[in-house]
Amino acid sequence: MNRFRHFAAGIPLTIKVPVLVVLLMLTIGAVVSEGVLSRLVSSQERQLGDLGSAYLDGLASPLVDPILRRDPWEIFDILDQSKRVYAAVTPVETVVTNPAGIVLASSNPRDAGIGGRLPAAFPAPGGHGAKALIDEAHARAFIDRTLVVQGRQIATLHAELDISPLLAERRQVLLTLIASNAALTLGLAALGWFAVRRMVAPMKILTEHLEGAKDGAVEPIEEGLIPAGDTETGRLFRRFNRMAVAVTEREALASRLADEERLASLGRLASGMAHEINNPLGGLFNALDTLKAHGEKAYARAGAIALLDRGLRGIRDVVRTALAAYRPDRETRDLQGADIEDLRLLVRPEATRKQITLEWRNDLPPVAAVIAFPVRQIVLNLLLNACRAAPENGRVGLAAGLANGAVVIDVEDSGPGMPAFVAAFLDDATAAAPISTGLGLWVARRMAGELHGSLIADRSALGGARVRLTLPERTGALSDVA
Amino acid sequence: MNWPLARRRFLSLSAGAVAAGLLGRGAAVASDSESVRFGLTPVLLTSDLNLLDLLQSYLETSTGRSVELVTRRTYQEISALLISSQLDGAWICSPPFLTYQAELELLAVPVWNGKPLYRSYLIADAHRTASSINDLAGDIHAFSDPDSNSGYVATAAELARKGEKPQTFFRRIFFTYGHENVVRAVASGLAQSGSVDGYVYEVLKEMEPGLTSLTRVVRPSPWYGFPPIAGPLAAVGTKKRDQLRNALLTTHEDPKGQELLKALRLDAFADEPPSLFASVAENMALLRGLG
Repeated sequence: MNRFRHFAAGIPLTIKVPVLVVLLMLTIGAVVSEGVLSRLVSSQERQLGDLGSAYLDGLASPLVDPILRRDPWEIFDILDQSKRVYAAVTPVETVVTNPAGIVLASSNPRDAGIGGRLPAAFPAPGGHGAKALIDEAHARAFIDRTLVVQGRQIATLHAELDISPLLAERRQVLLTLIASNAALTLGLAALGWFAVRRMVAPMKILTEHLEGAKDGAVEPIEEGLIPAGDTETGRLFRRFNRMAVAVTEREALASRLADEERLASLGRLASGMAHEINNPLGGLFNALDTLKAHGEKAYARAGAIALLDRGLRGIRDVVRTALAAYRPDRETRDLQGADIEDLRLLVRPEATRKQITLEWRNDLPPVAAVIAFPVRQIVLNLLLNACRAAPENGRVGLAAGLANGAVVIDVEDSGPGMPAFVAAFLDDATAAAPISTGLGLWVARRMAGELHGSLIADRSALGGARVRLTLPERTGALSDVA
Repeated sequence: MNWPLARRRFLSLSAGAVAAGLLGRGAAVASDSESVRFGLTPVLLTSDLNLLDLLQSYLETSTGRSVELVTRRTYQEISALLISSQLDGAWICSPPFLTYQAELELLAVPVWNGKPLYRSYLIADAHRTASSINDLAGDIHAFSDPDSNSGYVATAAELARKGEKPQTFFRRIFFTYGHENVVRAVASGLAQSGSVDGYVYEVLKEMEPGLTSLTRVVRPSPWYGFPPIAGPLAAVGTKKRDQLRNALLTTHEDPKGQELLKALRLDAFADEPPSLFASVAENMALLRGLG
């Protein structure tokens, strides 16, 4: 049943409706034909009964005398002539029997001879009442009549009638009904087919445009396809086009927002990096001063150069990581375990500023089959959010690893926890972003969605929120390629 | 041709239409106002209207009187009309003539195949191999008329000579009151055998071969005097009787008469002595003796 429903749902309307029209017409045709035929059958049977009765009534009175005289010739002569006189009911055989059932004479003496019994083909008299007994298989009807004179039964007339003309007429009517019903059904089915095709044509256009929208862009319907005037289809198409424009604008806005969000996080990072760079700068300048003042002293020079070397290397690392994080157009490579380590470097300034302890557990293999750039963006975003949520001297945790063919990265903090409406926003893919969370989470969820992944909020063992990013690896890719 | 229908129609019309035709013609043709009433029995094919027209027309021309043809279902009815002088002449069978010989005069005897003789046939279904009356024992047997020589007397006498009676020799007997009906009864299977006028059977063979082909002749009887035309003895000496007798005996000389004879398959009507029917009288005596 369910399979049928599923199958039926898959059939297009352009086929479903004509098929329904055909089925309906067939049902109506069958019901009407049945009605007409049964009326015809009953009227034919009535007519047959009337004709048969008229035939026997016509025979009865001339037969009385010969029957009383037991004159087989005269009885035969009357029956024989009646064959010609009553051609309308086409009697096949008429037999006259006495009350004991013995044949007095018949129109076909070779079948029912004088003194014999009524032939077996005839039903027992009176068994079928006043009506004719019909044997359709042999195209025969049987009717009988008891002859009573002065209250005494003197004989019974049995007639076998040929009803093949009636049956032929019935067959003709049936064939005519079938032919006309078939023609009507086919005509209406074709009409239904074309009518429905015309009716669902706008739906087809809409469906094609919506199918196209699966790839992202919703193409408006060309002006030429929109019917002129205030028609239902016209209004529908114009509404669709307005929606298509709105969707396109929203897409553009979203991508601009993502860029802006990236720039905003960049700003935050930049200030952290400024600290990171600024901190060693004092030492570096001191080392420079030492070199200027005591450069000729080997031990002082060596110490200052070593200090300069360490400081500059630290600055170089920070700058390189930042550059890597903001070079999206060149990053289509797979995620590496080292990418997560880079993020630690990037959030460290922010963590340091708030005296936050970073609890880091990176179990990712050297290479995982997901694109590196958006993962770094999402996780950096989550880490920055976690740092923001965690109090001074708080804790922020990261745990990355592979589970069931997916990269799973948990980011948690010891903050106050995520408000319920924010968590709900993450759960519901269609919900709009809550204004108070800023765009960070919204952008993160959007990017996770683009990678067919999910972002789920939960309580953290650290006391605050935990957000789990799950990204399925590309099928066929080897997650553990070294 | 539709025999029974034609016969029925004739029976109903003969008294009316034929008589009406005569009335119309009578004034023009007849010189004497009194018409001739001529009776017919089923010794000839009374169902052939054309034949009856020819007979009537010839007799009217020849006698100069209007002629009324009278038919009845049985020989007995015609015999009764004849002996009570309600008919001027009638074509009857030999037994009634012999029975009422004291009141009847022999006017003429038809001549068939050159002789005033005919035979009775015993007929049966075409598929039967019976060759004598003995093979027909236990049959349902159709007779023509109790007053018919060929249609009853001849067969009953043959049985009488064997010490049998039709009622017991045959399983069942019935009368059809017409030689043609005997043939129909046997052809249809209503009767398994029948006794029929040989002359009528031979004429039928020509006119209705489809009917007679369903039957076959088991055996012909000895020759008997042909069914005669008789008149009431009381009419002897009247002009009308002379005109009628003369018309009959000169049929073969008149072109119209020849046409009639051709239709009847006869040669002439001849003046024959009553002794022609001696063998029939013997048969009748035998039957009377059996009681």
